Amino acid sequence: MLPGRSRASVLVFLVPPLLLYLVAVALPIVQSLVLSFFSWDGVTDLQAVGFANYVKMFTADPIFWRAFANTMVYLAVCLFFQLGVSLFVANLVSYAGRGKEVAKTLYLLPAIISTVAIAFLFQRIYSYEPPGLINQILSTVGLGDLARPWLSEVNTVLVAVSAPEGWRFTGLYMLILYAAILAVPKELEEAARLDGASTWQVFAHVRFPYIRPVWVTTMIMASTYSLRGFDIPYLLTNGGPGQASELLTTYMFKTAFRSTDFGYASTIAVFIVIECIIAVGLILLVLKRGTDNS
Amino acid sequence: MKKTLAALAGAVTALSLALTGCSGSAAQPSPTATEIVPRQISWLLSRPADGSVISIVKKLADEYAAKHPGFSLNLITTPDRPSYLQKLQTLAAANQLPELFDTDATPFTQKLVKQGKLVDVQKMLTDLGLYDKYRPLALAYQRFDDGGLYMVPFEFELEFFWYNKALFQKAGVSVPKTLDDIVSLCKPLRDSGVIPISVDGQDGWPLLRYMSYQPFRVAGPDYIDKLKKGEAKMGDEVGSKAVQWMANLGSNKCFQDGFSSQGYTDARDLFTSGKSAMYQIGTWELASLTSKDLPASVRDNVDFFTLPTVDGAVTADNEYTVVSGIGMAVSQQTYDPLMKDFLKFVLDNYSERLAASGHLTPMKGYEPTIPDGSSELYKRALAEVNNLGEKIAFPWDTKLDPTTNTLMQQELTLLVQGDSTPESFEQKIDASIAENAPKFFG
Repeated sequence: MLPGRSRASVLVFLVPPLLLYLVAVALPIVQSLVLSFFSWDGVTDLQAVGFANYVKMFTADPIFWRAFANTMVYLAVCLFFQLGVSLFVANLVSYAGRGKEVAKTLYLLPAIISTVAIAFLFQRIYSYEPPGLINQILSTVGLGDLARPWLSEVNTVLVAVSAPEGWRFTGLYMLILYAAILAVPKELEEAARLDGASTWQVFAHVRFPYIRPVWVTTMIMASTYSLRGFDIPYLLTNGGPGQASELLTTYMFKTAFRSTDFGYASTIAVFIVIECIIAVGLILLVLKRGTDNS
Repeated sequence: MKKTLAALAGAVTALSLALTGCSGSAAQPSPTATEIVPRQISWLLSRPADGSVISIVKKLADEYAAKHPGFSLNLITTPDRPSYLQKLQTLAAANQLPELFDTDATPFTQKLVKQGKLVDVQKMLTDLGLYDKYRPLALAYQRFDDGGLYMVPFEFELEFFWYNKALFQKAGVSVPKTLDDIVSLCKPLRDSGVIPISVDGQDGWPLLRYMSYQPFRVAGPDYIDKLKKGEAKMGDEVGSKAVQWMANLGSNKCFQDGFSSQGYTDARDLFTSGKSAMYQIGTWELASLTSKDLPASVRDNVDFFTLPTVDGAVTADNEYTVVSGIGMAVSQQTYDPLMKDFLKFVLDNYSERLAASGHLTPMKGYEPTIPDGSSELYKRALAEVNNLGEKIAFPWDTKLDPTTNTLMQQELTLLVQGDSTPESFEQKIDASIAENAPKFFG
């Protein structure tokens, strides 16, 4: 139990941010939850519809399930870059000699460029008419047959809109993981090497177990950010062609602001919140199991 | 601890109440006042920031302010339409609509009308003695199905198919007489190494224009009014003819590859750089289509034709898509003597200045000044206004319920790309209309 004065100072410091959190985060979530039981077009009166929005979402809306499946692919692509590639690059950088700082800065650069600029950049990179970077490279190396309008084909568009988001934050997560790698005691690695461990074995049995808590934290951050991903897909294709790159977030946006169905859009919003909570829960569960085992 | 939580909950409630309390409309004029009291008013627009409408209105507002100290017009523009609509809907939901705002005659706007939030523009223009000065077609574009008029037009534009004579000649083809001719032009044009038609596929509405052509010719302008309510079906004879035509445009590779991820300026640039042979757009692009900066091979060869016909058409050749742009609605809540006086001043002087900037005007009797150095085509295109028929092909995006509108734009892309079949398209659209139309037209 804290003495009286400390309790007061804790309150003084904690109440303002807590209030801000309640008003800016918790309140809208509760409002969405309430609104999800109504039908509302923003102009006429609210109409209570009970669970009708949820029933429609789970049983009678193929676009919702399509968007959900797309969101999972989007998540997988983002995690591939933000957890896999970033870990690989962080390791490479830790072995690098000169130029390490430049490499780190260059990798971090995309994270500070505005989203709209990134979307325009990739629109040009994927362009088919006139040929963008990817299609030009393909025809230069003699693979011109593979050139295609990446953002227009239903089979390629989803990965094409996911990759920029993944690429964008690779540098940021690389930096976090690199900092964790720096904290791995050098003696442990050296001892392992003296015992004849290969670079891979050093990584798998010394480094990775050591940085695992940090890696899991980045996993939580990357997953929740990706599940809420909206801007780049919205700017690049607006969910199209058809619904081939429609994510839950873009679908929610369209339902609210194009179809003016705020009730149903809130239902989708509630689903996204629950989905994020489940994702974090699963990751923590895996972390706990891993810690118990080790 | 419980006490602290209770205090916290109380504070949150108080704060949220305070926030909602602050959201009442700012200056509420008294309905009985007759005196003009200058104040600041706002106009929420969705028009290009450097376009003629904004620059002319800005000048007129400055002139008005010089005579009425204390008056100012705050112009807030969001040219990107989806972002604009999001803003508008949020403000409407919060009952915070500004004095003036842009909107089309959409089902959503009709709801605002039913709530009594908009000034009856027909009455207002009659009151101001301006109603008879407008072109009937400019007003017709702004009207709802029941004839109600709640928006003021600020533009008047004709939509044509622009084509490149040299590229047509090279491919050995001539100007299409029927809509089906357009499809049959595509192969020879492709064979000659050019893109037959460039289209902005990213925005959705240009493809929807193509979708509206067959039904307008075959069944007239009323078809869409029946379709949107479910009284006509996409799978009926008229609808499926249009769907099949769209599919044919796709299978004959009429549009550029990857059109669905190309935007407005991409499509225009393909035409103005001589890479595509045809391009459908309104006279608002005249300046860029006749610009001195275009390569001579393009500039000297640009010409236009109006919407081709079909066998047994019910609409005349001189009837096609004519738009008077997004309209300006006037909020009922803040309509007072000042608003009335200001609007009279603006509308009285607006058309003359618009004509001087080289545009057709929503009012009759103003001859556009042709900009110096522009080609003969500029004059010839605008002269078509004297040859217009009585009916107009309405863009479908202002007619359909918003959910079906979005779905139809998405599905059209798939249909034209060959990723979906005409049957599946018809079935999805009919199902969406059956589900969503009653919410808006019930």
